Amino acid sequence: MFCSQCGASNADNAVICAQCGRNLQAAVSLPAQQGSLVQPSGVYVQNYLVFAILTTVLCCLPAGIPAIVYAAQVNGKLQAGDIAGAQEASKNAKMWCWISASAGLAVVLIWGFLVAIGTLSNLNR
Amino acid sequence: MPYPRKDLLLSTMVAVIAAALVILHFFDPATSGIFPPCPVRYLTGWYCPGCGSLRAVHQLLHGNLRAAWALNPLTILLLPFLVYGTASYALFELRGRYLPRLFLPAIWIRALCAVIILFGIARNIPFHPFELLAPAGVLHP
Repeated sequence: MFCSQCGASNADNAVICAQCGRNLQAAVSLPAQQGSLVQPSGVYVQNYLVFAILTTVLCCLPAGIPAIVYAAQVNGKLQAGDIAGAQEASKNAKMWCWISASAGLAVVLIWGFLVAIGTLSNLNR
Repeated sequence: MPYPRKDLLLSTMVAVIAAALVILHFFDPATSGIFPPCPVRYLTGWYCPGCGSLRAVHQLLHGNLRAAWALNPLTILLLPFLVYGTASYALFELRGRYLPRLFLPAIWIRALCAVIILFGIARNIPFHPFELLAPAGVLHP
Protein backbone atom coordinates (compact mmCIF):
# COMPACT_ATOMS: atom_id res chain seq x y z
CA MET A 1 0.00 0.00 0.00
CA PHE A 2 1.01 3.63 -0.38
CA CYS A 3 1.35 5.89 2.65
CA SER A 4 -1.42 8.49 2.63
CA GLN A 5 0.92 11.09 4.13
CA CYS A 6 4.18 10.85 2.17
CA GLY A 7 3.20 8.44 -0.63
CA ALA A 8 6.00 5.94 0.05
CA SER A 9 5.31 2.35 -0.96
CA ASN A 10 4.98 -0.02 1.99
CA ALA A 11 4.25 -3.71 2.44
CA ASP A 12 0.50 -4.40 2.37
CA ASN A 13 0.50 -5.48 6.04
CA ALA A 14 2.83 -2.70 7.30
CA VAL A 15 1.74 -1.04 10.54
CA ILE A 16 3.71 2.18 10.18
CA CYS A 17 5.15 3.83 7.09
CA ALA A 18 8.84 2.98 6.67
CA GLN A 19 9.58 6.50 5.39
CA CYS A 20 7.61 8.94 7.55
CA GLY A 21 6.37 6.78 10.42
CA ARG A 22 2.66 7.48 9.91
CA ASN A 23 0.37 4.85 11.40
CA LEU A 24 -1.00 3.04 8.37
CA GLN A 25 -3.47 0.86 10.26
CA ALA A 26 -5.23 3.87 11.79
CA ALA A 27 -6.11 5.10 8.33
CA VAL A 28 -7.62 1.69 7.51
CA SER A 29 -10.22 1.92 10.23
CA LEU A 30 -11.67 5.24 9.04
CA PRO A 31 -15.27 4.86 7.93
CA ALA A 32 -16.01 4.95 4.21
CA GLN A 33 -17.88 7.88 2.77
CA GLN A 34 -20.63 7.02 0.34
CA GLY A 35 -21.40 8.92 -2.83
CA SER A 36 -18.18 10.87 -2.81
CA LEU A 37 -15.62 11.32 -5.55
CA VAL A 38 -12.91 11.44 -2.92
CA GLN A 39 -11.10 8.30 -1.78
CA PRO A 40 -13.33 6.80 0.95
CA SER A 41 -10.63 6.05 3.52
CA GLY A 42 -7.05 7.17 4.02
CA VAL A 43 -5.81 4.07 2.24
CA TYR A 44 -5.09 4.15 -1.44
CA VAL A 45 -5.63 0.90 -3.34
CA GLN A 46 -4.72 1.08 -7.02
CA ASN A 47 -7.57 -0.14 -9.24
CA TYR A 48 -5.66 0.06 -12.57
CA LEU A 49 -8.80 1.44 -14.26
CA VAL A 50 -6.88 3.77 -16.59
CA PHE A 51 -4.56 0.94 -17.65
CA ALA A 52 -7.55 -1.38 -18.12
CA ILE A 53 -9.42 1.11 -20.34
CA LEU A 54 -6.25 1.83 -22.31
CA THR A 55 -5.72 -1.85 -23.16
CA THR A 56 -9.42 -2.37 -23.90
CA VAL A 57 -10.06 0.66 -26.07
CA LEU A 58 -6.68 1.33 -27.65
CA CYS A 59 -5.53 -2.27 -28.12
CA CYS A 60 -9.11 -3.53 -28.56
CA LEU A 61 -8.55 -6.69 -26.55
CA PRO A 62 -11.34 -8.50 -24.69
CA ALA A 63 -8.96 -9.33 -21.80
CA GLY A 64 -9.35 -5.71 -20.70
CA ILE A 65 -12.99 -6.34 -19.73
CA PRO A 66 -12.19 -8.55 -16.69
CA ALA A 67 -9.62 -5.92 -15.68
CA ILE A 68 -12.37 -3.27 -15.66
CA VAL A 69 -14.67 -5.59 -13.68
CA TYR A 70 -11.95 -6.09 -11.06
CA ALA A 71 -11.31 -2.32 -10.99
CA ALA A 72 -15.00 -1.88 -10.11
CA GLN A 73 -14.57 -4.51 -7.37
CA VAL A 74 -11.61 -2.60 -5.90
CA ASN A 75 -13.65 0.58 -5.54
CA GLY A 76 -16.77 -1.29 -4.39
CA LYS A 77 -14.84 -3.00 -1.59
CA LEU A 78 -13.13 0.26 -0.63
CA GLN A 79 -16.57 1.86 -0.36
CA ALA A 80 -17.61 -1.01 1.92
CA GLY A 81 -14.45 -0.55 4.00
CA ASP A 82 -13.08 -3.98 3.01
CA ILE A 83 -9.42 -3.04 2.49
CA ALA A 84 -8.09 -6.62 2.28
CA GLY A 85 -10.74 -7.53 -0.32
CA ALA A 86 -9.90 -4.39 -2.30
CA GLN A 87 -6.21 -5.33 -2.31
CA GLU A 88 -7.07 -8.84 -3.52
CA ALA A 89 -9.22 -7.43 -6.34
CA SER A 90 -6.43 -4.96 -7.13
CA LYS A 91 -4.03 -7.87 -7.72
CA ASN A 92 -6.51 -9.49 -10.11
CA ALA A 93 -7.08 -6.19 -11.93
CA LYS A 94 -3.31 -5.81 -12.35
CA MET A 95 -2.97 -9.40 -13.61
CA TRP A 96 -5.69 -8.96 -16.27
CA CYS A 97 -4.19 -5.62 -17.35
CA TRP A 98 -0.87 -7.34 -17.98
CA ILE A 99 -2.54 -10.28 -19.78
CA SER A 100 -4.30 -7.78 -22.01
CA ALA A 101 -1.21 -5.65 -22.57
CA SER A 102 0.98 -8.72 -23.26
CA ALA A 103 -1.53 -10.04 -25.78
CA GLY A 104 -1.45 -6.62 -27.48
CA LEU A 105 2.34 -6.63 -27.49
CA ALA A 106 2.37 -10.17 -28.93
CA VAL A 107 0.08 -9.07 -31.79
CA VAL A 108 2.35 -6.08 -32.51
CA LEU A 109 5.49 -8.27 -32.49
CA ILE A 110 3.95 -10.99 -34.68
CA TRP A 111 2.70 -8.33 -37.11
CA GLY A 112 6.14 -6.67 -37.14
CA PHE A 113 7.72 -10.07 -37.87
CA LEU A 114 5.30 -10.70 -40.75
CA VAL A 115 5.89 -7.22 -42.19
CA ALA A 116 9.67 -7.76 -41.96
CA ILE A 117 9.40 -11.12 -43.76
CA GLY A 118 7.16 -9.58 -46.42
CA THR A 119 9.64 -6.75 -46.98
CA LEU A 120 12.58 -9.16 -47.23
CA SER A 121 10.83 -11.44 -49.73
CA ASN A 122 9.94 -8.40 -51.83
CA LEU A 123 13.59 -7.36 -51.85
CA ASN A 124 14.73 -10.81 -52.97
CA ARG A 125 12.29 -10.95 -55.83
CA MET B 1 14.85 0.00 -2.53
CA PRO B 2 11.75 0.51 -4.66
CA TYR B 3 12.93 3.78 -6.20
CA PRO B 4 15.23 2.65 -9.08
CA ARG B 5 12.53 0.22 -10.22
CA LYS B 6 9.90 2.96 -10.13
CA ASP B 7 12.13 5.33 -12.08
CA LEU B 8 12.64 2.61 -14.68
CA LEU B 9 8.89 1.96 -14.88
CA LEU B 10 8.13 5.68 -15.21
CA SER B 11 10.76 6.39 -17.83
CA THR B 12 9.65 3.33 -19.81
CA MET B 13 6.06 4.56 -19.59
CA VAL B 14 6.97 8.07 -20.79
CA ALA B 15 9.14 6.66 -23.59
CA VAL B 16 6.40 4.27 -24.78
CA ILE B 17 3.72 6.98 -24.76
CA ALA B 18 6.00 9.48 -26.54
CA ALA B 19 7.05 6.91 -29.16
CA ALA B 20 3.43 5.87 -29.73
CA LEU B 21 2.35 9.50 -30.20
CA VAL B 22 5.21 10.26 -32.62
CA ILE B 23 4.50 7.12 -34.68
CA LEU B 24 0.77 7.88 -34.65
CA HIS B 25 1.41 11.45 -35.75
CA PHE B 26 3.48 10.51 -38.79
CA PHE B 27 1.78 7.28 -39.87
CA ASP B 28 -1.95 7.10 -40.45
CA PRO B 29 -3.22 3.66 -39.31
CA ALA B 30 -5.88 3.92 -42.03
CA THR B 31 -3.37 3.85 -44.89
CA SER B 32 -0.02 2.72 -43.50
CA GLY B 33 0.72 -1.00 -43.28
CA ILE B 34 2.90 -0.82 -40.19
CA PHE B 35 0.01 -1.10 -37.71
CA PRO B 36 -1.34 -4.57 -36.98
CA PRO B 37 -5.02 -5.11 -37.78
CA CYS B 38 -7.35 -5.39 -34.82
CA PRO B 39 -7.24 -9.11 -33.90
CA VAL B 40 -10.97 -9.18 -33.16
CA ARG B 41 -11.83 -7.64 -36.54
CA TYR B 42 -9.30 -9.87 -38.30
CA LEU B 43 -10.54 -13.13 -36.75
CA THR B 44 -14.30 -12.48 -36.59
CA GLY B 45 -14.98 -9.65 -39.04
CA TRP B 46 -16.73 -7.71 -36.27
CA TYR B 47 -15.86 -4.28 -34.98
CA CYS B 48 -14.71 -4.25 -31.36
CA PRO B 49 -15.22 -1.27 -29.01
CA GLY B 50 -11.68 -0.11 -29.81
CA CYS B 51 -11.80 -0.34 -33.62
CA GLY B 52 -10.86 3.03 -35.07
CA SER B 53 -9.28 4.30 -31.85
CA LEU B 54 -5.73 4.52 -33.24
CA ARG B 55 -6.99 6.22 -36.41
CA ALA B 56 -8.99 8.56 -34.15
CA VAL B 57 -5.88 9.48 -32.12
CA HIS B 58 -4.01 10.07 -35.41
CA GLN B 59 -6.75 12.46 -36.57
CA LEU B 60 -6.76 14.15 -33.18
CA LEU B 61 -2.99 14.75 -33.39
CA HIS B 62 -3.69 16.57 -36.65
CA GLY B 63 -6.45 18.64 -35.08
CA ASN B 64 -9.34 16.90 -36.84
CA LEU B 65 -11.72 16.44 -33.94
CA ARG B 66 -14.65 15.75 -36.27
CA ALA B 67 -12.89 12.91 -38.10
CA ALA B 68 -11.63 11.51 -34.79
CA TRP B 69 -15.17 11.55 -33.38
CA ALA B 70 -16.46 9.72 -36.46
CA LEU B 71 -13.85 6.98 -36.12
CA ASN B 72 -14.44 6.16 -32.48
CA PRO B 73 -16.62 8.46 -30.32
CA LEU B 74 -16.08 6.30 -27.22
CA THR B 75 -12.30 6.81 -27.32
CA ILE B 76 -12.73 10.58 -27.64
CA LEU B 77 -15.11 10.63 -24.66
CA LEU B 78 -12.75 8.51 -22.51
CA LEU B 79 -9.55 10.30 -23.55
CA PRO B 80 -9.77 13.19 -21.02
CA PHE B 81 -10.20 10.65 -18.20
CA LEU B 82 -7.28 8.56 -19.46
CA VAL B 83 -4.99 11.60 -19.81
CA TYR B 84 -5.95 12.89 -16.36
CA GLY B 85 -5.48 9.47 -14.77
CA THR B 86 -2.07 8.99 -16.36
CA ALA B 87 -0.94 12.51 -15.40
CA SER B 88 -2.19 11.98 -11.84
CA TYR B 89 -0.31 8.66 -11.59
CA ALA B 90 2.91 10.10 -13.02
CA LEU B 91 2.79 13.15 -10.74
CA PHE B 92 2.23 10.92 -7.73
CA GLU B 93 5.18 8.70 -8.61
CA LEU B 94 7.45 11.69 -9.36
CA ARG B 95 6.51 14.09 -6.58
CA GLY B 96 4.58 11.94 -4.11
CA ARG B 97 1.63 14.31 -4.49
CA TYR B 98 -1.74 13.63 -5.95
CA LEU B 99 -3.64 15.71 -8.38
CA PRO B 100 -7.10 15.66 -6.85
CA ARG B 101 -7.66 11.95 -7.34
CA LEU B 102 -10.89 10.84 -8.90
CA PHE B 103 -12.58 8.03 -7.06
CA LEU B 104 -15.27 6.51 -9.24
CA PRO B 105 -17.97 4.66 -7.28
CA ALA B 106 -18.06 0.97 -8.27
CA ILE B 107 -21.47 1.37 -9.94
CA TRP B 108 -20.02 3.98 -12.35
CA ILE B 109 -17.22 1.61 -13.35
CA ARG B 110 -19.71 -1.23 -13.92
CA ALA B 111 -21.85 1.14 -16.00
CA LEU B 112 -18.77 2.14 -18.00
CA CYS B 113 -17.99 -1.55 -18.58
CA ALA B 114 -21.57 -2.08 -19.83
CA VAL B 115 -21.30 0.99 -22.10
CA ILE B 116 -18.07 -0.34 -23.65
CA ILE B 117 -19.62 -3.77 -24.33
CA LEU B 118 -22.92 -2.32 -25.65
CA PHE B 119 -20.98 0.11 -27.87
CA GLY B 120 -19.04 -2.86 -29.27
CA ILE B 121 -22.30 -4.68 -30.07
CA ALA B 122 -24.21 -1.66 -31.39
CA ARG B 123 -21.59 -0.59 -33.91
CA ASN B 124 -21.89 -3.99 -35.63
CA ILE B 125 -25.63 -3.64 -36.27
CA PRO B 126 -25.74 -2.92 -40.00
CA PHE B 127 -28.57 -0.41 -40.22
CA HIS B 128 -29.39 3.16 -39.25
CA PRO B 129 -28.71 4.63 -36.70
CA PHE B 130 -26.33 2.00 -35.31
CA GLU B 131 -24.13 2.02 -38.41
CA LEU B 132 -23.15 5.60 -37.49
CA LEU B 133 -21.18 4.10 -34.58
CA ALA B 134 -18.99 1.98 -36.88
CA PRO B 135 -15.55 3.48 -37.63
CA ALA B 136 -16.08 6.47 -39.94
CA GLY B 137 -19.79 5.60 -40.09
CA VAL B 138 -20.73 9.25 -39.74
CA LEU B 139 -18.46 10.32 -42.60
CA HIS B 140 -19.37 7.49 -44.97
CA PRO B 141 -22.93 6.47 -44.24
